Amino acid sequence: MPATVKVLRRPAPGQTSYLRSALKGMGLTFKHMVNPKKVTLQYPEERLELSPRWRGTHVMEVHADGRPKCVACGLCPTVCPANCIRLVGGEDDMGNRYPIVYEIDEFRCIFCGMCQEVCPVEAIHVGQHFENAEYTRDRFVYDLDRLMEQDHPSTLLWDPSDPRSE
Amino acid sequence: MVETVTLTIDGQEVTVPKGTTILEAAETLGNRVPHYCYHPGLSRPAQCRLCLVEVEGAPKLQASCVTAAMPGQVVHTQSESARAQRRGVLEFYLKNHPLDCPICDQSGECKLQDYVHEEGRAHGRSREPKRVLGRDDFGGDVLFYGDRCVMCTRCVRFMNEMAQDPRLTVVERGNRSVIDTFFEEGLAGSPYAGNIVDICPVGALVSKDFLHKARAWDLDHIPSICPNCSQGCNIDLHVRDNLVQRLKPRDNPEVNQHWMCDYGRHRYEWMNHGTRLVAPARGRGEGLATGTWEAVLSDLADELAEAREAGLGVRALASPFASNEDLAALRDLVEALGGGEIVFRSPRADQEIPLPGFPKLVRRRDLAPNVRGAELLGMRRVGGEDASGGLESLVGFDGILLVMGDALLDAPEDFGAGARVLACLGTHPPRVAAGATHLLPIRTHAEGEGTFTNVEGRVQRFWPGLHAPGEARPAWQVLAFLAAALGAEGEVPALAAEAFARLAADHAPFQGLSYEVLGTRGALVNDPVSLPGA
Repeated sequence: MPATVKVLRRPAPGQTSYLRSALKGMGLTFKHMVNPKKVTLQYPEERLELSPRWRGTHVMEVHADGRPKCVACGLCPTVCPANCIRLVGGEDDMGNRYPIVYEIDEFRCIFCGMCQEVCPVEAIHVGQHFENAEYTRDRFVYDLDRLMEQDHPSTLLWDPSDPRSE
Repeated sequence: MVETVTLTIDGQEVTVPKGTTILEAAETLGNRVPHYCYHPGLSRPAQCRLCLVEVEGAPKLQASCVTAAMPGQVVHTQSESARAQRRGVLEFYLKNHPLDCPICDQSGECKLQDYVHEEGRAHGRSREPKRVLGRDDFGGDVLFYGDRCVMCTRCVRFMNEMAQDPRLTVVERGNRSVIDTFFEEGLAGSPYAGNIVDICPVGALVSKDFLHKARAWDLDHIPSICPNCSQGCNIDLHVRDNLVQRLKPRDNPEVNQHWMCDYGRHRYEWMNHGTRLVAPARGRGEGLATGTWEAVLSDLADELAEAREAGLGVRALASPFASNEDLAALRDLVEALGGGEIVFRSPRADQEIPLPGFPKLVRRRDLAPNVRGAELLGMRRVGGEDASGGLESLVGFDGILLVMGDALLDAPEDFGAGARVLACLGTHPPRVAAGATHLLPIRTHAEGEGTFTNVEGRVQRFWPGLHAPGEARPAWQVLAFLAAALGAEGEVPALAAEAFARLAADHAPFQGLSYEVLGTRGALVNDPVSLPGA
């Protein structure tokens, strides 16, 4: 099929008026002045609701007696594509394997959530949280105590009532 | 002429010496038949039932680890019946296996993990509770996790056949059977018991020293030579975070077969940096100041040349922990300075510790890797059995003193005070640094390339596994530079291979050897020692 060419008639200079378009635009402006549609949130008094699937800074789950659930298996530092998890395993006084050092560099983290996916004991999770401002860079390396203290909810990619996605 | 048989395995023809088993014949084709109880260094009870393969004409599946290859035999290792059998056997193995891979030290190098991943069932069908045995301390360096055991009895057979010190046995029968020690005796004091951790195909026997220390997949394996006695066992350095985490034996039928002693296995911490010498320095006493390699070496070369002009003699103290290349380079430098005696001090144990099942492997009395190499290069052993004393000829010497690798732990405070030049090449600062005019940081054997000559005269290569700290350089490079600055012939070698080529050309025992000839298994010097039991 041969291509068809649509010929547009271009008005000659001096023959057009922009008044109609200008009035149309002003109309929209006045409409929003009378009946405004809110976009800007008055943060921090008002806050956006996060998606339950939001992947933010990490949370370490804790046993009832206050021990971290982590067993230092080494899968999260292995799977981490940003190489931001540092783990040194050891044995506690009850003969259990536990993390002596567990650090996540939240600056290097890309929040892919693979650490949570790979964890065999449902210990490490990405959380529904985004307010992480600090005064120094080194504060962004979260150690085990800090990860255990995080009180924001973990992402609903993981459902606590069905921890093994069965 | 060895009699051979030709058979077909999985459609591939293979010719092997008569008496070879099907499993070993398949391995020559790169076809690994799964197995637990079979180990090339031990007897073959054929009890794990995992290596069963289909042999055409045989009524049932055959255990390939004990069935000799016959002429014209047609073997299928991957046939439907063989695979179904293995799948079934593996399901039984998992019946009581705890699946605690996340906290098991063997995870990543576990044969049960590998085989089940390859061809096991995706889900177990067992609904019954698993047997729980818990953990048992076997004494020595060995922990036993009974739940993980697959009853291959390799450990029991190693203690019976190789160590010939039966300390382990199978208790109970059938599905209640479990490995145990006799009463409270345990494995403590058995000098080769660490090997049962290596040969355990699962995580039932684990090392206390390595417990929870690193994951198997994080470790780099670097071929090396055990530096803890003059047997020269072939080992792998398992390295993570620039630290040696453990030593494992590497196969070499001429030296250590598949084994190594616990004495050597547990002495690796010194390779991980402690207080290391990291920068070259010059100046005596208070005036000792670090400088660049260029400045310190050219200063040292000038002072050596002056001392040589003044007709002062040279004496050197070497170390049997240095490689052949380092020792030969020291010899060359001493010759360039007019020639002099080189001595070394070496620790010696009270007795040898042989492995009865493989008499070639002995923990030797010399507790240093290169005593034989130093002797072949014309160096003389001085001092006592604990590597002390013997410095009489050096203490008051007023010429050039070269010290390489000896930390001078027992030297008097005024050691080298009267010497015109005292150059110390070392990994650690010498105790009597005050007397030194030059301090030169060098690398340990774990940080560089080189060779050791073992007690028998076998020259074996080792490879670098760690990054050297600071500005440490290989000793052969530093010494060859100085020798060249003093007018010695030849170019400064850029590679350890070139340093070795020079050594082989200059010293008759090493003639004809090169890194290509040595390969990974090593080669004998021209005048080897024949050892009893070999």
